[in-house]
Amino acid sequence: MSEYKKNANKLIIKVVYYGPALSGKTTNLAQLYAQLRPQRKGELMVLESGDDRTLFFDMLPIGLRSNDGLDLRVKIYTVPGQIKHDSTRKALLSRVDGVVFVADSQIDQQDNNAVAFSDLADNLTKVGLDIERLPLTVQFNKRDHQDAMEKATLHEKWAETPWTPLTFASALRGEGVVESFRQLLARLYPVVNEEFNLSTRHALDSQEFVRQLSAVEEARHE
Amino acid sequence: MSNLEDDLDLDALLSTNHRALLLQVLSTLTGVNVELVEHADEASSPLVFNLETLAWLKAELPEAHRQAAVQLFELIMFYAGKYHLAANLHLDVTETSYIELQKQHVALQESKMRYKKLSEKLQERIDEQVKVIERAQRQLYEDARLRAIGQLAAGVAHEINTPVGYIGSNLRVASDYLRDIATNLDDGNNLETVLEDFRELLDESRSGVQRIANIVSDLRIFANIDQAEFANCELNVLLKTACHLLQAEHYQKLAIVQHLNELPKLDCYPAKLSQAFYNVLDNAAKAIGDDGVIHVESRLCGDVIEVVIGDDGCGMSQDTMARVFDPFFTTRSIGMGTGLGLSVVRDIISVHQGEIRLKSHPGQGTRVTLLFKVS
Repeated sequence: MSEYKKNANKLIIKVVYYGPALSGKTTNLAQLYAQLRPQRKGELMVLESGDDRTLFFDMLPIGLRSNDGLDLRVKIYTVPGQIKHDSTRKALLSRVDGVVFVADSQIDQQDNNAVAFSDLADNLTKVGLDIERLPLTVQFNKRDHQDAMEKATLHEKWAETPWTPLTFASALRGEGVVESFRQLLARLYPVVNEEFNLSTRHALDSQEFVRQLSAVEEARHE
Repeated sequence: MSNLEDDLDLDALLSTNHRALLLQVLSTLTGVNVELVEHADEASSPLVFNLETLAWLKAELPEAHRQAAVQLFELIMFYAGKYHLAANLHLDVTETSYIELQKQHVALQESKMRYKKLSEKLQERIDEQVKVIERAQRQLYEDARLRAIGQLAAGVAHEINTPVGYIGSNLRVASDYLRDIATNLDDGNNLETVLEDFRELLDESRSGVQRIANIVSDLRIFANIDQAEFANCELNVLLKTACHLLQAEHYQKLAIVQHLNELPKLDCYPAKLSQAFYNVLDNAAKAIGDDGVIHVESRLCGDVIEVVIGDDGCGMSQDTMARVFDPFFTTRSIGMGTGLGLSVVRDIISVHQGEIRLKSHPGQGTRVTLLFKVS
């Protein structure tokens, strides 16, 4: 649940990168950290174990200040993908506003994708959220792999879901990461706007919301 | 979940002591006083953690130097923050898991109670079923007894029929003789042959009546009509009666050899013991077929009465012997045996604190020894 602190005129939105183990969630976040030039960007916090697997989570705070002084922040988290960290994943989904599901494009990973997706749906239910109504972007990562599933096949598979069109990425090469994030921001905006009147009260429309939070060239500081 | 709060304040990130130490180090390094203030002024720069300004670092230093001090301070806060956020999440996950474990524990306890109740219910139902089976078993035995009594009655009827038949015919002839005597008395004819025959008729009839009386007496003993349920009585009498009745049922064709020695009287349930003797004798009769012999022997050895009923019939295998006392175990075809005969014998003997011994080999006959201790 996005959180508005009235006294500080501060709005905090929580985004979680979810997906099976080793699908590239942390790499996505590292690329966002490297590529994004939003108005405000904090430090990338990585809490991994000794073998470079996410142990608790990664977190990157970004933000913008609207002309009327609204302090809008997006906290982007990743979850640990290994099955054994289910409780941690569930805890991190608490009060989430949007999810990027990072799937693995390799043919032999499709079962893991399905398991992780249904695990996402279950955990959302447990924290009182409905996957059908939550802003959600599905990214098929690792497009650079030789045995990646055909895009057409994937599109066809997901055609009947609310999450089409899919996004595609090669996070290691930095491709498609920002595009996935932008799609999620665009899907997030209407929900946040409905609750906090971003457009009328803060003169912040969808385009500006997405542009400011996902700018890749040097942001123009006011 | 409050634990997941990631906006940590200065106190949460660095304790007062560490903050003071850090400022002291910075002061020493820079050579000017470095301190934290709550409001910005021209000699201060913001300290930021996760986009949040937590305080201002104030030092009379060139901008670049003050900025370096801020970076160092922020770096330390960043690592402290990492630890705190991880710790908070860990605490949160642990608490949630613990609560879930407790719930599971409660659910397990409930399910355990359910199974316990279920098992109790099952035990109840088993007990009920056992009662039903026992009732059915007694019913079956009653039925078998009634059938045995029916067979007995048929034998008795057959037995009585013969003497009654010739007594009736004798009496008819006797009436004719009386009429003849009456007429012949007048003409003085020789009545010697008629009188001779008449006497014979009457003797025969008296013996027939005696036979009927014996059978009825046997039946009375067997059915325990005249005696108290528990009485002091002669086992030999019971044995003889049982033999008579068995003969009656087999049209007097059985070869039964009796060696009954004098015995002291025994306190017993006569009707029950008769039933037991009859059951063993009945088995022997069925084992020998048409041309075997049944030996019935009784004797006193010390203070123990031994009753031995042996036959030279078909005998039993070890497997059969092991099961003969089981209720409903029978080697006979359906309808021919209830499988209760010997189990009833065992029950009756145990009521008398007696003992039953069995010796048998296939083809070599069977020997049943019943032992009763004389008090």
